[in-house]
Amino acid sequence: MESANASAEGLRKQISETEESLRKLKAQLHQFEFQEKSDSAKTVSLDEHKWPLSAEEYKRYGRQMIVPSVGIQGQLRLKAAKVLIIGAGGLGCPAAAYIAGAGVGTLGIVDGDVVETSNLHRQILHGTEKIRWKKVDSMIASLKSLNPNPAYVAHAEHISPQNSESIVKQYDLVLDCTDNPASRYLISDICILLQKTLISASALRTDGQLIVLNLPPLPAGAEGGPCYRCVFPKPPPADTVVSCGDGGIIGPVVGVMGVMQAVEAIKIITSGKIDSSAEVAGSGENTKQEPTLMLLFSANSSQPFRSVKLRSRRAGCFACSKDSQLSLESLTSGSVDYVLFCGFTSPTKILQPEERIEASQYSKVRSKQHILLDVRDKVQFDICHLDGSINVPFSNFQGGKEDVVDGSSWIPDSLPNDASVYVVCRLGNDSQVVTRKLKEAGLDARGKRYIGDVKGGFKAWKEQVDQSWPEY
Amino acid sequence: MAPIGHFTVLYFASASSYTLKDSEFLPTPLPLSKLFDHLDQRYKGMKAKVLESCLVTLNLEYVDVPESATDGQDLIIKEGDEVAIIPPVSSG
Repeated sequence: MESANASAEGLRKQISETEESLRKLKAQLHQFEFQEKSDSAKTVSLDEHKWPLSAEEYKRYGRQMIVPSVGIQGQLRLKAAKVLIIGAGGLGCPAAAYIAGAGVGTLGIVDGDVVETSNLHRQILHGTEKIRWKKVDSMIASLKSLNPNPAYVAHAEHISPQNSESIVKQYDLVLDCTDNPASRYLISDICILLQKTLISASALRTDGQLIVLNLPPLPAGAEGGPCYRCVFPKPPPADTVVSCGDGGIIGPVVGVMGVMQAVEAIKIITSGKIDSSAEVAGSGENTKQEPTLMLLFSANSSQPFRSVKLRSRRAGCFACSKDSQLSLESLTSGSVDYVLFCGFTSPTKILQPEERIEASQYSKVRSKQHILLDVRDKVQFDICHLDGSINVPFSNFQGGKEDVVDGSSWIPDSLPNDASVYVVCRLGNDSQVVTRKLKEAGLDARGKRYIGDVKGGFKAWKEQVDQSWPEY
Repeated sequence: MAPIGHFTVLYFASASSYTLKDSEFLPTPLPLSKLFDHLDQRYKGMKAKVLESCLVTLNLEYVDVPESATDGQDLIIKEGDEVAIIPPVSSG
């Protein structure tokens, strides 16, 4: 095993060295081609002065340039624009593809993660051969192939209070393509402080949300479009926040939201709404304040798209009102604590050690009469479950229905009242909550019946008992 | 369309997972300040777990849900109105 690991490691090293030298060769080639281009350009220098875009650019962007709302002016604005995409995942991939394709001048990407197999069904700029690559590198490689013209900037780190100012200030427009509440509040705050318009989108399961915030980009205290805190002043309780890994996500649902972010970005840039205020005052295009909308997408609804009208900035908003308590110093120094504000979930630890059973131990008592209560969602139960187990999803216990909590709706009448009940879930958190509820409802028959959870859930089952158990 | 004497409430994202519904009809009139308590009675724990961090709209426009009915500015949800409960979705 060790020698296999060593040779795999050797191969990985060899691959990355080869890739590195390939990169260098490509850069050299690029240099030569660029030289050639500029040499030949010298001979037609007259034309160059005549036309603001290259011949290739007219061809490449012609189909969008002839749309009246873009035009040559819009195309030149795109070329001058610097756009930052924070998050190179399910939202960031489609957003970046269209924004790069449209010919933006500079595109920065922020992400500290690496590509994993479970990303590929939705993160369309990452391919199977790029598993374990840094997401920023994988994304930029795909974007360069799509359109080599923009300058791509990789920020291979997660956005944080410490790095947010130095990264965001280099750009004109920001897209929030991240996946958690803390980063959403942080990105909104830094965009208020640095006066950047923010296009924020999110998605989970079959639902998506899109809002354009801080448009026009104005400092705190001005009468402008709302920030994220105006719309959602109170973060959701941390234990109710569901990630795509836990809740699931349909690829094209998050894709639609990322594509919509690109639509908004192109609209905002080509209409000149991020130009410096001097130019804005001159053009008079941006004096009218349009109401801010939130677009809701629900793929399974009979009315999949809905727009709701939001208010302008909230009086007393922590970030953008005239009473703002936010400053660059308080943000970057860490005195605004985003993790604390949004709360955090420590691993669930409700049960005593004697109320828990190791997966390996459970496998040995399976021959005895007992009940295995699987509290995963039905869809997960359908993917894989153990023979004889009973499925009552965790959500059914949340409403507090009596016949669920006391077991009468799911325990077979034939079960002796001293037969054990083992509770299992995916990772061993929900199972603890349910075990506690069952005991509180008196299902343990005053200690006659053992009720406990399988520690670590099916993850532990896979590690300790059955390696073939599907990891989904 | 809501039946006579009712309004429609739409549940998005986690509000939909909590109620196991996309929408339902509730009796009118209902003061907006009573909405959260009313829903919390129907769905135990929903106020703290979901509603307090939600955006609420009435007929597609943002409304502030008053903490109590004492400030005299309470809106009344009327027959045929459409209320949407929109929790923040943060993943992506």
